[in-house]
Amino acid sequence: MDFILQGFVQAIRLLTGGDPETYSAVFATVKVSSMAMAVSLFTGIPLGFCLGHFTFPGKRQVRLVVDTLLSLPTVFIGLMVYAFLSRQGPLGQMGLLFTLPGIAIGQTLLALPVVIALTATAVESMDADLRPSLLSLGANRRQLLTGSLWEARHGILAAAVTAYGRVMTEVGVSMMVGGNIKWHTRTITTAIALETSKGMFAMGIALGLVLLLIAFGANAAVSFLRRN
Amino acid sequence: MALFQLDHVVHTYAGRTVLNIDQWRVPAGQILGLCGPNGSGKSTLLKLLGFVERPVAGTIQFQGRSCEPFADAVRGKVVLLPQTSFLLRRSVYSNVAYGLRIGHVKCDTAQRVRHALGLVGLDPEAFAQRPWFALSGGEARRVALAARLVLRPRALLLDEPTASVDTASAQMIQAAALYAHRQWGTSLIIASHDHQWLQDTCEDTVQLFRGKILGNGRKTLIFGPWRRRDDGIVQTTLAEDRQFLAVDPPAHLETAVAAIDARHLDLQTSPEPPPPGKTILEGTIVALGLEKSTDRISVSLAVGGIVFTTHLPRHALTTGRYTPGSTAWIVYAPDQVEWY
Repeated sequence: MDFILQGFVQAIRLLTGGDPETYSAVFATVKVSSMAMAVSLFTGIPLGFCLGHFTFPGKRQVRLVVDTLLSLPTVFIGLMVYAFLSRQGPLGQMGLLFTLPGIAIGQTLLALPVVIALTATAVESMDADLRPSLLSLGANRRQLLTGSLWEARHGILAAAVTAYGRVMTEVGVSMMVGGNIKWHTRTITTAIALETSKGMFAMGIALGLVLLLIAFGANAAVSFLRRN
Repeated sequence: MALFQLDHVVHTYAGRTVLNIDQWRVPAGQILGLCGPNGSGKSTLLKLLGFVERPVAGTIQFQGRSCEPFADAVRGKVVLLPQTSFLLRRSVYSNVAYGLRIGHVKCDTAQRVRHALGLVGLDPEAFAQRPWFALSGGEARRVALAARLVLRPRALLLDEPTASVDTASAQMIQAAALYAHRQWGTSLIIASHDHQWLQDTCEDTVQLFRGKILGNGRKTLIFGPWRRRDDGIVQTTLAEDRQFLAVDPPAHLETAVAAIDARHLDLQTSPEPPPPGKTILEGTIVALGLEKSTDRISVSLAVGGIVFTTHLPRHALTTGRYTPGSTAWIVYAPDQVEWY
């Protein structure tokens, strides 16, 4: 038990003392997850809205594929992105393997089905009276879309938080595509895995606490936005 | 020019025809009530008139122009208050101002919102900043109505405006709708099961049944089972020893529904023999109401489970013989029964 307790004490020291190695992993994680979330929200929200709002041939099949992609294993995504970005792969000349943008590509693929599926569910579960109400108040087609999107904002926020949680906590993509390079592509989760294997619990616990803190911050922000 | 004109309008849900109107015209400036049993097509008709749905077939003209949903000619001019009080997830003020904002209406928005809230009996100071979830059912209904009234529409369509609201809220909704009619010349079309409220508010009523318009005025619907007698007359039993008689039944007698117009029902307070060609039914007066538009008294008389409605001149009440709970007789001619 003592080594766990000491780990916590040491973790607080690392964080308050501004340990550069710890903060390098934190910044890499925030940077890469922000890139992945920006792309997945920008493309996933419109796609999810279309999937939930419109009726088109093959909609059920598309929904089935998206729902299946929700349970994509991160190591499989890591493997596929690695294959595409490696020197022999079709995107090898871009030089993205073992870089933060490379990890961001993999994390985008991880977050996109979550954003699409949960946005579609939020839009589908909107009140059936929303459309007639907006129309009867004089909305045109564009206003009907933006009004519906705004009404689904709480569900979309929940989709974003869920996707963010998935991106922040994954190890497979970061490890395989990023290579866990110190000062460069080492993220919080890959650092925890490495430090634990080395028996360095303090840094692992410190990084775990940072992850929890970021998750708390994201949820607090969503809670604030919901209330307003 | 008619406010609305419908030609060969058909609407279906999941392949089932719910509305089938050959031709119908609504004059401008009227307060028109729609009545009919559940599933008769009242809400569907209002959705089509409100241009929130497009009919499967046929055309709907508004002020002489054939229109469809999203048409500029109807946006903000024809507004529908749906059956449920759906409010946007924002404050009362934002809900009421929404139509003005998206319609880019040039006006003092704050003043218009305050006025609309006042019309429906809500204190703007107390309610404007309340969120949508902090309202009672009656308050939400009135906010939804205020969001329509703020647009000062040419036509206001109300679907069950008093459903699940208390008497005070129903009176405020009535007063606000009548204000719009009086001040801005807004035509009102109101669907309701609250016959008394409808009678107090409307100048005329139209009855719907099975997706068809039966015509203007109050009709009593009589459902079977029908039995064909040897003399060709068909009858259904309303109560013990009291049969409703009709002639010329349709071929589909099992599913046929008879209707008799209030104008074809006479009321008497003694069981005098009816004139030749007419028949008499004993019942109990269950309600009396004043029809403000015609200044007549509407009398509801229950015979078994069926309530017949007829009218009396106002002075007839001075005799004191027409009181709720007293026995009365209706006289009608079986050949004036219509079939559907």
